Amino acid sequence: MRDFALWLANTSPSVFIQEHNAWAIPAIQSVHIAGIALVMGSVLMIDLRILGWTWTDQTLSDTTRRFGPWLTGSLWLLLATGLLMVIGEPVRELVTFSFWLKMGLVALGALVAVTFQRTLRRHERHWEDTLVHRPPVKLLAIGTFLIWVCIIVLGRLIAYDHVWGSWSPAVGQ
Amino acid sequence: MEIAAGLDWLQHTALAVQIRDSLFLFPLLESAHVIGLSLVVGTIAIVDLRLLGVASAHRPFQRLAADTLKWTWVAFALTALTGALMFITNAAVYFHNSYFRAKVVLLVLAGLNVLVFELTAGRTVAQWDRAPSPPPLARAVATLSLVIWVAVIVTGRMIGFTATRASLTEPTPVDTNFEDLLGLPAAGDAAPPPAKGPE
Repeated sequence: MRDFALWLANTSPSVFIQEHNAWAIPAIQSVHIAGIALVMGSVLMIDLRILGWTWTDQTLSDTTRRFGPWLTGSLWLLLATGLLMVIGEPVRELVTFSFWLKMGLVALGALVAVTFQRTLRRHERHWEDTLVHRPPVKLLAIGTFLIWVCIIVLGRLIAYDHVWGSWSPAVGQ
Repeated sequence: MEIAAGLDWLQHTALAVQIRDSLFLFPLLESAHVIGLSLVVGTIAIVDLRLLGVASAHRPFQRLAADTLKWTWVAFALTALTGALMFITNAAVYFHNSYFRAKVVLLVLAGLNVLVFELTAGRTVAQWDRAPSPPPLARAVATLSLVIWVAVIVTGRMIGFTATRASLTEPTPVDTNFEDLLGLPAAGDAAPPPAKGPE
């Protein structure tokens, strides 16, 4: 991975970002954070609707139809800006424990989001009438929200990978 | 002078010292700050996009705002608290940082923008509560709000690139090792990175 990161650091897109890093890195990161805001707003509203704490004048399907596309769209934006950050600072990102743990949770979070939207579309009545009232589904809503919270924490910890001690590939080599 | 003394007192409080000396506290405060601000901006965007008629256009505005903005305030409290705790760890540096000052001005502008809305379009909300496209002034406020909050994110991110944590006078293990990994000469010989702190 270190070899790949070093190779990537010498490719022309990476060199371009490095040469313009004074504005490029903060600009990419800011768009990334704006994307995180859209994801968190959407996930919060869908999860609170499942819990029955807000948007209760709307059905679960209405709420998901409102926020689902924004959630999916923002995830693509995060993927694009995230890729630019990896290209711009390959060693800083790829040679960390935080980054790979984060990617694992992103895969899990995205899988849950896509699966949820699909099954909801296919079994709308079943969700509205029974599933949404079941405690395990409510627990899942809280769980998904916590996944995205952990993803944010891990994203920040990429800059502090030494907190993981010997688990961090950047420490002790 | 009194301000300087106050800032100095702040960064020498037991709390500030404890956060500075901890390996985990500052990164965790930053993380909680990002969680809070993403929820603040994410929920405000829901209300702004409704005012612009872009999303939730057919849901009554007052119901949507009431359902959404209470969570904004919870998130804002978390963001303000974590922001204040980060500020006291290096109060003098943050206080004189131009991006920090710009961010404070932007937050005041965001508040004034809400005030303008409440005093104008907010007073006639009963007339356009169900309208997919609210009055022009409401849409102007919503546009300005989105612009201000994006600017808050940008200036906030820039603070991290321009202000150093007081405790980090020595390079962190990560910095040292990245230089070894890259086979770069020690800092000072290579082109200095723009970021002084642990952005």
